[in-house]
Amino acid sequence: MPFACIHVPNFILQAALRIEPQLRIQPAGILDGNPPFVTVIAKNKKAGSLGLQIGMTKSQAEQIQGLQLRRRSIEHETAAHAALVDLALSFSPRIEETAADTIILDLAGLAQLFGGFEKLAQRLGRRAKKFGLSAQVAVGSNPEAAQLAARGFASVTVLAPDEEMERLGSLPITALNLSLEIRETLERWGVRTCQALAALPVAQLSERLGQEGVRLQELARGASERTLIPTIAAMEFEEAMELDTAVSELEPLSFLLGRLLDQLCRRLSARALATNEIRLRMELERGEDEIFGIVEKRTNSGMYGMKRDTPSSASAKSTASIYEHALRLPLAMRDSKALLRLWRLHLEAHPPASPIVKITMTAEPAKVRFAQSGLFVPLSPDPEKLEITMARTGHFVGAANIGSPELLDTHRPLSFRVGRFNPLEASLPANDFGGSSVSSGVSVRISSGASSEDPVALLPATALRVFRPAMPARVEARANSREDTGDKTRDNSRDTSHATTSKVHAPARVYFGGVWGDVMTASGPWRTAGDWWTEDPWNQDEWDLEIEFPVPAFSHMAKGTQKTESARARGVYRIVRERATGDWFVRGVYD
Amino acid sequence: MYIELHSRSAFSFLEGASLPEALAGRAAEIELPAVALLDRDGLYGAPRFHHAALKNGIRAHIGAEVTSGGGYRYPVLVKTQGGYRNLCRLITRMKLRAAKNEGCISAEEMAEHAAGLVCLTGGEEGPLAHALGRGGITGGMKCVRELSAIFGRENVYVELQRHLHRDEEARNQAAVEIARKQRLPLLATNGVSHATRIERQVLDVFTSIRNHVPLEAAGRLLARNSERHLKPGERMARLFADLPEAIAQTPELSSRLEFTLKDLGYEFPEYPVPDGETQDSFLRQRTMEGMISRYGANDDKARRQLERELALIERLELAGYFLIVWDIVRFCHNKNILVQGRGSAANSAVCYSLGITAVDPVGMDLLFERFLSEERHEWPDIDLDLPSGDQRERAIQYVYERYGKLGAAMTANVITYRGRSAAREAGKALSFDLETLDKLTSLVNAWEYKDDDDTLVRHFQDSGFDIDHPRIKKFLELCIRMQDLPRHLGQHSGGMVVCQGQLDSVVPLEPATMPGRVVVQWDKEDCADMGIVKVDLLGLGMMAVLEETIDIIHDHYREDVDLARLPADDPLVYETLRKADTVGMFQIESRAQMSCLPRLRPVKFYDIVVQVAIIRPGPIVGKMVHPYLKRRAGQEPVEYPHPSLEPVLARTLGVPLFQEQLLRMAMIAAGFSGGEAEELRRAFGFKRSELRMKEIEKKLRAGMIRTGINAEAQEMIVKSITSFALYGFPESHAASFALLAYASAYLKCRYLAAFTAAILNNQPMGFYSPATIVKDAQRHGLRVKPIDVAHSDWKCTLERDGGNWAVRLGLRYAKGLREEPAQAIVAERSIRAFASIEELKQRVPSLQKAELITLAEIGAMNFFKPSASFEADTGAEAGGKKRRRFHRRDALWQVERVARPAGPLLDDRQEAPVNKEEISGSLPLLPPDASPLSPMTDAERLMADFRGTGMTVGLHPMSYCRAAMTKLGVRRAYELEHLPNGIRLRIAGAIIARQRPGTAKGFVFLSVEDETGIANAIISPDVFAESRVTIVSCPFLLIEGRLQHQDNVISVKVDSVEALSIPSAAAASHDFH
Repeated sequence: MPFACIHVPNFILQAALRIEPQLRIQPAGILDGNPPFVTVIAKNKKAGSLGLQIGMTKSQAEQIQGLQLRRRSIEHETAAHAALVDLALSFSPRIEETAADTIILDLAGLAQLFGGFEKLAQRLGRRAKKFGLSAQVAVGSNPEAAQLAARGFASVTVLAPDEEMERLGSLPITALNLSLEIRETLERWGVRTCQALAALPVAQLSERLGQEGVRLQELARGASERTLIPTIAAMEFEEAMELDTAVSELEPLSFLLGRLLDQLCRRLSARALATNEIRLRMELERGEDEIFGIVEKRTNSGMYGMKRDTPSSASAKSTASIYEHALRLPLAMRDSKALLRLWRLHLEAHPPASPIVKITMTAEPAKVRFAQSGLFVPLSPDPEKLEITMARTGHFVGAANIGSPELLDTHRPLSFRVGRFNPLEASLPANDFGGSSVSSGVSVRISSGASSEDPVALLPATALRVFRPAMPARVEARANSREDTGDKTRDNSRDTSHATTSKVHAPARVYFGGVWGDVMTASGPWRTAGDWWTEDPWNQDEWDLEIEFPVPAFSHMAKGTQKTESARARGVYRIVRERATGDWFVRGVYD
Repeated sequence: MYIELHSRSAFSFLEGASLPEALAGRAAEIELPAVALLDRDGLYGAPRFHHAALKNGIRAHIGAEVTSGGGYRYPVLVKTQGGYRNLCRLITRMKLRAAKNEGCISAEEMAEHAAGLVCLTGGEEGPLAHALGRGGITGGMKCVRELSAIFGRENVYVELQRHLHRDEEARNQAAVEIARKQRLPLLATNGVSHATRIERQVLDVFTSIRNHVPLEAAGRLLARNSERHLKPGERMARLFADLPEAIAQTPELSSRLEFTLKDLGYEFPEYPVPDGETQDSFLRQRTMEGMISRYGANDDKARRQLERELALIERLELAGYFLIVWDIVRFCHNKNILVQGRGSAANSAVCYSLGITAVDPVGMDLLFERFLSEERHEWPDIDLDLPSGDQRERAIQYVYERYGKLGAAMTANVITYRGRSAAREAGKALSFDLETLDKLTSLVNAWEYKDDDDTLVRHFQDSGFDIDHPRIKKFLELCIRMQDLPRHLGQHSGGMVVCQGQLDSVVPLEPATMPGRVVVQWDKEDCADMGIVKVDLLGLGMMAVLEETIDIIHDHYREDVDLARLPADDPLVYETLRKADTVGMFQIESRAQMSCLPRLRPVKFYDIVVQVAIIRPGPIVGKMVHPYLKRRAGQEPVEYPHPSLEPVLARTLGVPLFQEQLLRMAMIAAGFSGGEAEELRRAFGFKRSELRMKEIEKKLRAGMIRTGINAEAQEMIVKSITSFALYGFPESHAASFALLAYASAYLKCRYLAAFTAAILNNQPMGFYSPATIVKDAQRHGLRVKPIDVAHSDWKCTLERDGGNWAVRLGLRYAKGLREEPAQAIVAERSIRAFASIEELKQRVPSLQKAELITLAEIGAMNFFKPSASFEADTGAEAGGKKRRRFHRRDALWQVERVARPAGPLLDDRQEAPVNKEEISGSLPLLPPDASPLSPMTDAERLMADFRGTGMTVGLHPMSYCRAAMTKLGVRRAYELEHLPNGIRLRIAGAIIARQRPGTAKGFVFLSVEDETGIANAIISPDVFAESRVTIVSCPFLLIEGRLQHQDNVISVKVDSVEALSIPSAAAASHDFH
């Protein structure tokens, strides 16, 4: 039974050249890795002759004049592979995706159709060129022989059954894809070609290298028999519809989307599957700038692309004529109504720029979610409903602002990130000593004065209401002497506890939010600085201030501010000074 | 006034970021009158801090943070000498019972050793913070009460630190309350961890190294801010404006801390002498006994010198020291361990008479004052050279036995961050991947010569880093800042300190990595600076070679060689030296020595002394080499700066080469005493101080005016003394080394086989790789046989080869073969020879597959006789004329089967007890089968040899490509001496040494070996810059240049180099050291 193998050498580079054919005549290299450790992983001959080597760093490669460098693109490689599969499928219904760069085709019954294997192989090669890939093609009596020849010989090779062993014999043993151990053993033995390996006595070889040795020898002889592992047609769930008249309103669009979603969900259901990603591709009519009365908002990009942190996320690519968005779900679903709601919310936030003429919807199949409620486990919201609620809320507040806060392990004040909201894991991680320096952003306990017992642990809990963003402030500092402070800080005796450096340049009067107040008591500065090795270091002083305002009229003070006898208002605030810039901010108010 | 009483240096190992010197320097800068150093569990940095403080005019208080079993640390300050002793003993007790860098003490132990110490309640790691965290104010009160009970109320201070943290401040308030309630004084400190603010970054890197996490994952392990630096008094006063008493208490406490390291309380042990004897009388007797055997009874000159020395020793009360060293030497002699004193001790006739040194200072007219003088107030320094390895270890163990575990210890060796280690650790902290780090660190070379380009920046660029990238920039900055900071404590290779009484009350002791060893917390220099006497028991590879050579000669040649009685002027030795044929000889084998020997043309022993001393930075920098060689060759007249100096300089032809000559010049010209002259040398030596140099120069000039030396001569004398004193080499030391050099040359010339076997058995040592030593020996006619399982021992041995001796390479040269199975091979073989590889594996089951493969690959199994089937298979004729030999690939083919695990079904068979008798009896083990593999080609064999043994006993790699080389017009090394000066030519070969000496202004010297010998190539900085990578990394080079034939020295001045592709994994070359 004859087989053909199509192999694309230097696949990573070729995948890039396929997208940018003009690079073929220039010296080119492909880079990969995370900055600053980006290295060359592929190159063409021209680049090699200019001195480019695999493993060079980006900055070394950049010193080579005239060299074209591109980043590795998995998308390009996936597309190139898909093209290779398409190409193979256009010749034979039975193909094997042996590797990203290699496809084996079952040629049974095809010789007559294409006028012989030689012609078939040549056509394969030519067709590959049309796909933008320069491939090596070989035909052999078994899949392995065909693969070996395709990897080992340039251009097109057709192995006649009686000459397979001889032809393959000239190939180096490295073509066999050996394990390091066996390769070293063979090198020690001086066995360098397939022919030499083929010549070794089988029984003795098996005594030394085991069954793997025997297998390799069969490969080297071109006599390896194995069945093809045919590629099963992909489980694709795609529905599309072309519209006679372009749709420009959300309601009719929703109706159409609902139909597509119903179909998709039914198909998924028939195969006991659900989906965790639905892609929507819409072809748009040219010329219109605005529909639905909303101009497309680009500002929401922060919501998307943070797949890790957002409850559900979508990636979007909108060009003038194509609207292509994907809705990724944290759990597999197949409730078409729920899905439609999510899509509606998404489309409201990201409306297409022009009326729609064609809709394609693709669902990524996934296993169905199973859940078993426990008798003693408190009921949690239905995940699907929760997902919709989260998406709705995210729609208003921005996806980066919804979820559960998670403390970060750092001294940087108020550092947290928003993680996925999961009611079962809602309990916050333990805070550090005293719980005062790292804030969840919701409220934190701070130490507000000395106690006769444990100096820290037994302090009464106080909440800090954090202003986000912090309010810019102007601060008048007190002169540099204790006596001076004593005069102005009326209630000084009550707060000796924090009278540390606080009396040095301590804030005396604070202006913010259109009002000003005199500092009655100051505690601080509490200094933190760090992340000096990054491009985002911090260095700031915090102060806890008791401020007396002449006019008690601020909404943000309502809770933390008390009226004094003289109808003045007092509050305890946390203010912060960025030491690099000298700017002051009010970070929050203590309840 | 404020005094910082709680600071850590980098000697808290990864918990502090500044050297003690930096702390002292900074303290002086910001006008702190005193600082206390409290490193974690040790006094590692104390001597350096003490001296730096003296230099900076501040007081150094000593203390430590001692780890308690309760999970906190006691910060203690030393108040009295008794307190110091207690602290040393306490730390020693803790360290000696725990693993390295671990250990803690109990409250009872603290109480036992608390006298003379002051305790602070500490910062966040202190006992009070710990108690407050666990038991609140009540707990804190209890803790302070306990501390008062341990140390006494007057010795406990409630410590306050302010680093601008809320938590810390809450603790401070509690502390103030406790102090007030218990009426204890408050004490402000800054808990210093680094001298200046910026070093906080290094501290963070250290924290990340200590916790094995990169910086970005270290989170709250890192410092909260940069406040833990030394702060000026006024800033501290402002910080504690509300508690002025806490600041005022610091000078109070400082004034109570009367102890400084000046009062160390060290005493050298007394040597036990028989009743009725004093140490002096006993030393005199031993010296006089020695004198008779060394000089004979009637040598008046020697007797006078001895009397003078003994009188001085008596005055300085040093008899005990000499007796202790004599005792060690006597032990070595009794145990047949070669020993020889080196260094300035060889100036002493007493040392010579006692057998400590081997050079006759009277005969050589050496200057005793260089060794010992009344003015110096310093212990003399005696270094003993011993054969490296087990023999030296025996001597060290003897000292431990003699003086007890707490009476003797090794000195420490502080391992510091250098280019490579700093780059690696900083890179890890910044989350660089390992591959990148390897690439980078491999580029950081330890070259002696550095040109302007040779910077870290350049290394970074070479390895393809973008140094403008902020992370790379930061990396570079950190690498530079981390340089020289201590990393951990190692053990010095041979420095030992001994003490009268308990050494653990002078300096804390720690267990060394080697079992049974104890090491002090100070390094050699610190011990010397603190006046602790040390004896260096140094391992010298050449001593081990000499010892082994003598043993081999005894066993095989049946001759006894006594190093002390070698023929003094063997003409063959001098002829060999004049030809610079010195590979493997002690001290005179380097490329530079080789290029000097044909010019110096030694004819007598003293010439070797000069030869050893002349290729040193001193004479080279002082421009003494060329005048001396020219005068020697008669090309320049011999002149003296002043006629009175002729007796001193005559033997070095008017050119001062040795330190002793400088001293004598000062003594004669300026009337200095011996001690004053030595003082002069030190003033101009490594630790030079401008002020002292000026004073001494004035004194020198005044002296010369008194002795009537004219201004011109004065100038010359001052110039030669000042320029030379820095690098000069003591004549006595040169003479000791010259003895070894002569002995090695003599043994190599007369007993080449024995010497070669011994030097191969003591690798690594010396200048050349084993490959070069073997090739050199072969060129001298020695047959070197390959490793053979049927004949080789673990070590290299001698075998009869016709009428001559040949060297059989030992199994130790099979790379990766462990000694244990190798010894098992030798033992089994002595019972019965191995008939097959299968039998070898059965009888030595510990042999692993990789080891068998190596043995097969290097041809060590080629001895097996093929089986009948083998011969039938290969068609060998029965008559035996064309018998096919068993080759390396046959062995590899067998090994692969033999070494394959049997699998679970047959595993039982292996587990069955092996009956040795059965094996050694008649168990029919099959001889090897035929293999279908073809034999290795010459090139493959060569590669296998280099891969498996690092050398080849076969043809030199270059001989395989000689025909091609001849076509290219390449000359062989031996041809060069017959070619005319100045011609253009090509040479090619393996690069066996690359050097770029600090004194050679960027020139690079290569030794190029081919099958006929070694040629020298000189590369100018320009050519080096052009072909840097090729020169540094290619094992074989094709060199084009011009022949230089100068004063019997032949070299090629290189115009261009090209890499040569030779099929061999080349032997390691000796590069750039």
